[in-house]
Amino acid sequence: MAHKSFQAVKENSDVLRSAPKDVIRAGESLARADRLSSYWGSTDDVSHYAYLSQRYSEIAGQNSALSLNQERAAKLELERQRLQLALREAKLLSVQEQSNWLEEQIVSLATSETERGLVMTLGDVLFDAGQANLKASANRTVLKLVQFLQLNPRRVVRIEGYTDSRGDKLENLELSRARAQTVADVLIDLGIDSKRIEAQGHGESFPVAENASARGRAQNRRVEIVFSDAQGRLGATR
Amino acid sequence: MLALSLTGCASDPAPTEQLRLTEQAVTQAKAVGADEQIVELAMAEAKLQQAQSAMQRDAFKEARILAEQAELDARLAEARVLTQKSQDQLNELNNRINRLRKQLGAL
Repeated sequence: MAHKSFQAVKENSDVLRSAPKDVIRAGESLARADRLSSYWGSTDDVSHYAYLSQRYSEIAGQNSALSLNQERAAKLELERQRLQLALREAKLLSVQEQSNWLEEQIVSLATSETERGLVMTLGDVLFDAGQANLKASANRTVLKLVQFLQLNPRRVVRIEGYTDSRGDKLENLELSRARAQTVADVLIDLGIDSKRIEAQGHGESFPVAENASARGRAQNRRVEIVFSDAQGRLGATR
Repeated sequence: MLALSLTGCASDPAPTEQLRLTEQAVTQAKAVGADEQIVELAMAEAKLQQAQSAMQRDAFKEARILAEQAELDARLAEARVLTQKSQDQLNELNNRINRLRKQLGAL
């Protein structure tokens, strides 16, 4: 049995390459067992060295399997990284190809298909209170808007600011203009041609809800983005 | 060589170093995660125990033979555990690669 095992590992080039020491020891132990077998009364020693030789052969076999596995794992790891990269790129591409999906999203955000065309509303919560600055929470909506305009290069937009009826009329008009302009500036900063954007303020005019309740006033404080049709034709200004 | 074949020879030195090596091998096998599930580890521990009691009886040759075998049993147990772990790792990598291929195919 020990002879057979040793023969097997000795003739296996993978085992010899990855576990040469164990193969040598298997051979040495076996030679010892063979020499001892010629002496009378040495049966126990013979079987001992045969046992050791057998073990060395088995250890050599395991160590060889281990290093083959490690080599294979290193190759597979490279393959895995390559596939992961390919998947990321493919996903990105598919998002870009899903302009239709994006259009649907914008339409659903816009909510109203009015006589003025497609209208998207940015709520008061996207602005600092009483200020023209956009909050960071508006980023997502703004990016979607930019992507939509990039995928639909002939469309143009009109950005209209509105306020509630509290406070000074002129100040409200100014705030509504400033908010509309802020949105326009962000779009321009993100690469949309300024020729495709116009901004105007309407102050307290054209409320969408009554100004008596806080809830109604909040609805009236808004910026609306009016989209042109696919040919770039915008509805008449208010 | 002849001396080795004489059983129970009083001239056999105490195999202190071999016992140390064997204990080390058993500890090492356990450290990489070998347990009773690995038959060679159980063998190693049993033989090590027998070798230790042989030492106390001054049966040095018996102690040496048991300890030598136990050392290799333990080393084989260790090698088996490490090989199994590398096999598990390979399987996991293959799973992940298959999942990636499937996702890429679905796009």
